[in-house]
Amino acid sequence: MRGNYLRSPHTLESETKSQSTYKDIKTFDQKNWISENLGYKKDSGSWAWIFHRITGIALIAYLFLHVYSLSPLTKGEAAFNAKMAQFSSPIFMAIEWFLFAFVIFHSLNGIRIVIVDWADGAKYHKQLYRISWVLGIILFLAMGALMFSHELKKLF
Amino acid sequence: MYKYRASKDSGSKSWVMQRITGLALVVLMIGHYILMHYHPDSGHTYQAVLGRMQYSWYRIIDLTFIVLAMYHGLNGIWNIFRDYKMKPWLKYSVISALVIFGIAFTAWGFNIIFSIPYIN
Repeated sequence: MRGNYLRSPHTLESETKSQSTYKDIKTFDQKNWISENLGYKKDSGSWAWIFHRITGIALIAYLFLHVYSLSPLTKGEAAFNAKMAQFSSPIFMAIEWFLFAFVIFHSLNGIRIVIVDWADGAKYHKQLYRISWVLGIILFLAMGALMFSHELKKLF
Repeated sequence: MYKYRASKDSGSKSWVMQRITGLALVVLMIGHYILMHYHPDSGHTYQAVLGRMQYSWYRIIDLTFIVLAMYHGLNGIWNIFRDYKMKPWLKYSVISALVIFGIAFTAWGFNIIFSIPYIN
């Protein structure tokens, strides 16, 4: 379990210098692990890690759902079109749009992770994180414009 | 030397595979979104699916997609579990559940794609 270790290498350095005892160092507290973990100082990397997990779990759950929702293909045209009619309601369209948001975050952050691992990206991972958010929001809005192009045409 | 290591498997192969499949999935996902969702009218009727599935390469892409996505997703779930200390029985139960679910749903997906007829 990810416990509360030293806050930063800087803290460790200053503490060894001042000869302070190890009791100042925060240790993992089993009783309050939720508040300890939530209280841990998070930079962009921690948030990326958290969001990557949440989106990943959601996407694998969606993959199972996707196989299930396409299964009427085996039963022919009428069954499949009836199922698809369900999914083209505005609520489902909105859910699909946010599914795209999850996909785009997981993809862009995944690319960021690969760059960090294989292309010396640790030196500029924070910039990459910011770039992926900007790019992600642009792609999200573009996808919204495509998905709801009929509705947008009615409006303008 | 490795007496106290928790496992002989360091996970490095799964780590590399996760990156390779991840990159492949990004490419496949872009293709999937362009072909399926570039317009609200595209690709959601039985006729549209039937039309696409006349091309064997499209079927091959779909089959690759489901295998890679299932592997990447379930390996990812397993990686989350690996962050925690598990009793052996729990570990093997989790692995078994993931493998069974993965194989079952992949087989279901294959079955769906193979059930779509070639018209000619």
